[in-house]
Amino acid sequence: MFSSPSTPQLQRPGHVRHCKYCLFGLPGTQVGLDASRLAIVFYCIGTLDLLGLLDSGSKPHEREEWRRWIWEQYVVSEHGAGFRPGPFVVTAVDGEDKSRSTNAHDTPHIIMTYTAVISLSILQDDLKRLDKKQLLSFLRSCQREDGSFSTIPGSTDSDLRTTYCAFAIFKMLDDWSGIDIPRAVSYIQRCRSYEGGYGQYPWNEAQGGTTYTALASLYMIPEAVQSSLRPQARLTDVERAQSVRWLVQQQTEAGGFSGRTGKEADACYCFWCSASLDILGAGHLVDESAVIGFMGQCQFKFGGIAKAPGEDAADPYHTYLSLAALSLGTARGATLPDESWKLEPLNPLLNARTSVAEWAQAKMSNAQ
Amino acid sequence: MTTTTTTDLYSDDPQWVDVTPIPQYDGINPVAPILYTDEYKDATDYFRGVLKSGEKSERVLELTERVIRMNPAHYTAWQYRYQTILALGTPLDEEITLMNDIAMDHLKTYQVWHHRRLILTQTKQAAQELAFLVKVLGLDNKNYHTWAYRQWILSHFSDDDLWRHELEFVDSMLRDDIRNNSAWHHRFFVLFEAGVRAGDEDREALARQEILYSKERISLAPNNASAWNYLRGVLDRSGTEYSSLAGFVEPYAGLPGPTASDADTIDTENPAPQPGARLPSVAALEFMADVYEKQGGERLADARKLWTSLAREHDTIRQKYWEYRSTAAGKL
Repeated sequence: MFSSPSTPQLQRPGHVRHCKYCLFGLPGTQVGLDASRLAIVFYCIGTLDLLGLLDSGSKPHEREEWRRWIWEQYVVSEHGAGFRPGPFVVTAVDGEDKSRSTNAHDTPHIIMTYTAVISLSILQDDLKRLDKKQLLSFLRSCQREDGSFSTIPGSTDSDLRTTYCAFAIFKMLDDWSGIDIPRAVSYIQRCRSYEGGYGQYPWNEAQGGTTYTALASLYMIPEAVQSSLRPQARLTDVERAQSVRWLVQQQTEAGGFSGRTGKEADACYCFWCSASLDILGAGHLVDESAVIGFMGQCQFKFGGIAKAPGEDAADPYHTYLSLAALSLGTARGATLPDESWKLEPLNPLLNARTSVAEWAQAKMSNAQ
Repeated sequence: MTTTTTTDLYSDDPQWVDVTPIPQYDGINPVAPILYTDEYKDATDYFRGVLKSGEKSERVLELTERVIRMNPAHYTAWQYRYQTILALGTPLDEEITLMNDIAMDHLKTYQVWHHRRLILTQTKQAAQELAFLVKVLGLDNKNYHTWAYRQWILSHFSDDDLWRHELEFVDSMLRDDIRNNSAWHHRFFVLFEAGVRAGDEDREALARQEILYSKERISLAPNNASAWNYLRGVLDRSGTEYSSLAGFVEPYAGLPGPTASDADTIDTENPAPQPGARLPSVAALEFMADVYEKQGGERLADARKLWTSLAREHDTIRQKYWEYRSTAAGKL
């Protein structure tokens, strides 16, 4: 029986501080994030947003700087437009135009484009600078023969994460034109494993993160398209029961969720697995107090949330996803230890606060 | 194989004097800037210089290697390296040797494995890869990228020689760690997902063989979810009724089996739990509840009894799930 006699408060000021430190600068040991800086920016800004502390935890000029930096990553390439991870391969020097590809490798990146759009929506940017036609042609140029999407144009580096980010953008644009949806769906279905989860590529082991990206993708497809697909994109009753079983099986005695059968609980899978359950209409099956107890132990003493209790460092990725999981729990009516654990509601498909998701959809579907 | 020492800066190297380094443009107010080391800043300044000039040469291979060793997630350095290799006609076996070294240090980086796939698509030297992967899995027997790559090698090149010893390999992985779900998954992939191998044409016999294999492994570790999930996978795939295993499962669920009175006869088809096993096994209770639910009618009450015992006693973290199963039963 799980018991949490003394669940600490959610350390809100500490989590804000952790993310603001990261936005201010990352140590050299984090050089591995050089090619995904925009994603880190998203996790940090998203953390402030889910805590409802964006306005009180940052100054208007800071938010303006974040917004401007994100737009600086917007790049129009020969394959269309989107966002790059950061300036790491920009070869223009001061004064030269950086809004167009500065060399053949300076291209937009699908995952970064998704995180940029959500981040800008958090910052209430009107997204008017987005060129919808160019954005769509970038995404189209990334779809591969097997239906998957590469992260950047012309690459063969593709897996379900990229499909998810592409689908999220189509959904926000409310425009799926020029995309081969049946082929994309068939790729996702090929990633399904006998356990009821999805692997990263066809034939791989079921894993919580890729299961989320698979399910969210399948359930984002517009109703009109859904009904014409054979086999259907959404799960059959038998498949759904099997997936729900596998997902609830990932919640461990420690309270959190593991990413694969038999592995240790990890804070990020509390989001990936419980959001997947939400998508399947089974979010109410999560043991919420066990998740909260687990998160309480994952909080790092200097702020931020670590992947597991006893880890010696927190990071924005685990911090954001933990809070996202708690947001879903709040919305499901979880019994909270105290008010500090109450978070803003989240859209489980787009992984953004509900009103941010609405903002993004409203602005993008009107984009020219 | 090139070697680099990260203390020499390209900016001090006369051999690089003809390349104009390009410092990173980070905007007026960079967000989440990384406090790069001097070595990384130096190498990426020259890498940007090369990106601009389009140079593809031996020294670019050395430069990209240096960048990659400092940041193996630098996907452009990998991509440019690959293009340079193709342009120069660099011997690909040398590249694989170098990659063996880098992979060992960065098992969890996507790009390391993606690059390897690209090289293998050219060399098609798949057999030696399987041996290398055995070594890598020795370092981390559940490494996701490594298993994914092994599955790609087998399915992409799919020749009989490659597959010949795969089942032996899985067996040995499971002997080392009976709870390694990656190995269980791989077993399913090998036998049921990736085509039919010579000797495995009789699918019913294969299913029977794998059901027995699962039973034996369950008798060794009755609370191993991986083995139970595998068993369910085999039953589902072969269309075998769960109820046909009731006699095997009942003792693991702490239920009196139909042959429980014959405790002295050893039933090789249905290995019994070992003395001292932690029973009832949650998975066995779940399995029997599924059997009863399918039988329906009066058996539903038996299913509900098991779900209640799971919810209240044996698997309380999933209390809501078991209650939901109980409520939903008979309604579909």
